[in-house]
Amino acid sequence: MGIHSSKDKVCSLSKAVSRIEDGSIIAVGGNLSAREPMAIIREMIRQGKCNMHSIGGAHGVDIDLLCAGGVLRRVQNSYVGFEADFGLAPNYRRMVQQKKVIPKDTDCVAVLMQLRASVYGLPFMPMKLVTGTNILDLHPEYIVMTCPYTGEKLSLLPAVKPDWAIIHAHKSDPKGNIKLHPPYFADLLAIEASQNSIVSVEEIVSEEEMDKIGATVPYYEVTAVVELPFGAHPTSCYPDYTYDRKHLAEYVKLANRGEDVFRKEYLEKYVFGVKSHDEYLELVGGHDALEELTKWNQGTEKWCELLGRNL
Amino acid sequence: MSIKGTDYYTIDELMAVCMARTIKNGDTIFNGVAVPLPFTAIMLAFKTHAPESIFWSGLLAGLNPDPPFLPPTSGDSVMLHRANPILHLHQIFDLAMRGELDRIFFSGAQIDKYGNLNNTLIGTLDNIKIKLPGGAGSSHIGCFAKNYTIWSIRHDAKVSSKGQRVFTFVESVDFVTTVGRRTSTRNRDELGLMGGGPDCVVTNLCTFDFDPLTDVMRLKTLHPGVTVEEVLENTGFEPVLSDTIVETPPPTKEEIALIREIDPMNTRKVGFSRSALEKRYDF
Repeated sequence: MGIHSSKDKVCSLSKAVSRIEDGSIIAVGGNLSAREPMAIIREMIRQGKCNMHSIGGAHGVDIDLLCAGGVLRRVQNSYVGFEADFGLAPNYRRMVQQKKVIPKDTDCVAVLMQLRASVYGLPFMPMKLVTGTNILDLHPEYIVMTCPYTGEKLSLLPAVKPDWAIIHAHKSDPKGNIKLHPPYFADLLAIEASQNSIVSVEEIVSEEEMDKIGATVPYYEVTAVVELPFGAHPTSCYPDYTYDRKHLAEYVKLANRGEDVFRKEYLEKYVFGVKSHDEYLELVGGHDALEELTKWNQGTEKWCELLGRNL
Repeated sequence: MSIKGTDYYTIDELMAVCMARTIKNGDTIFNGVAVPLPFTAIMLAFKTHAPESIFWSGLLAGLNPDPPFLPPTSGDSVMLHRANPILHLHQIFDLAMRGELDRIFFSGAQIDKYGNLNNTLIGTLDNIKIKLPGGAGSSHIGCFAKNYTIWSIRHDAKVSSKGQRVFTFVESVDFVTTVGRRTSTRNRDELGLMGGGPDCVVTNLCTFDFDPLTDVMRLKTLHPGVTVEEVLENTGFEPVLSDTIVETPPPTKEEIALIREIDPMNTRKVGFSRSALEKRYDF
């Protein structure tokens, strides 16, 4: 995990992201349309990061956008898509088919075991036998051994130690203690397994306040914290706000119209066209539109309206 | 619960009922990604014949939720409503690896006669024609779970731009994401797999189980108005025909009313064709 003993972790977005080296293995937090570190991802694209390798479970717009922005070379995720709602991930799909991104499709359980090996400080983890699936063709590094105790066949998966975990969370204190509300997805594992972690948070609070609410992640596992309210937009960050389904619909629509359209009408506008996260928030509707996403807890009817509004 | 207005049901509802009936009371059940129809089925089973089942709400890992509606994205926190406790995702995977997961629901962009599923790619690894999203946890959990239910809302044969018929149910899949009853050369025992694999299939036309001798899908029931010929026309392999093919047992009015209560946003209907949804079945 790396031990980060400094008690001053607060950092600007651009400085935090500048520390991530090209070619890094990254573990992106959140999943599907939930609590993905989208502001950090947009900054990685603006800074022209490239040749990276992601490892993780079921994801969506985060990995798709990292592909479109030229950041990822290898995608070792178990799922990249927009589910039944919006279908395939258009940029990921296109770049894989054009051989610009190498698919290293994996499985949620394999990700768990490989990160766990890193957490345990072990070179590999054994697992009940997995065979008969072509996922193994993409992973010659998974091997089978006979258990010296029981004689049964086991699959071995080598440790993966990400260089960076990239996470969006609810609160931190200046030291880097993190408060994360459930669902945790695999974020705690990703932070623990990684050498470094950047965590963007909705709010940086005082140490006294953090003492009161209790931290979920110890500060020494965290390299840098960046205060970015609505930093997960357009994904959700419950209980603070739900996801912006309308924005995602627009995203997928533009991405489905091809590389050029997506570059011109999405990347140039929402990523390269803004100088700061605040400018981005203005562009996606500003205070009123974002405030609306926080109203999911006003009752079932309002929640359904936010998630199901006509697109 | 009001059963007024439930004088008919639709294909999504019939499928949800068929899928729910594959759950036994007390089963441990998990489901993850892109799964509004299985979520509907699981919640229905809970509220009818399987109240003692244990269900973790997808990747959020909340235990036994009772959501007021089903969301368009399966990672939405509404799936934590009344869930207690909220666990860590890995606790569910650990349980599956211990052999304690009774049932899970998987679909596939391609499904072969042995129940092998492809959610990874169309084409070959060297020449990927369509990159699909991926199998999430289905590749490994498919090896570990005691059984899984296969479901598909695309039991059809679309005509491609080149005039070829493209099946979901194919002789063999382009890529095995999740292993079914057997591969072309070995069954699950010979492979050394812990779990039993798929034991039933629910589609928009019919239900199958598997022939115990050959491990090939065996046509078991036909949905109202569907003929054996229609199933064969829309299937890219020859299924085994059971001696006693019957009409799919209809849902009850209570089940249909419950489904509409569980899923007031009609999330379960996403992906079905308009014409399929317009067809109304009388009780």
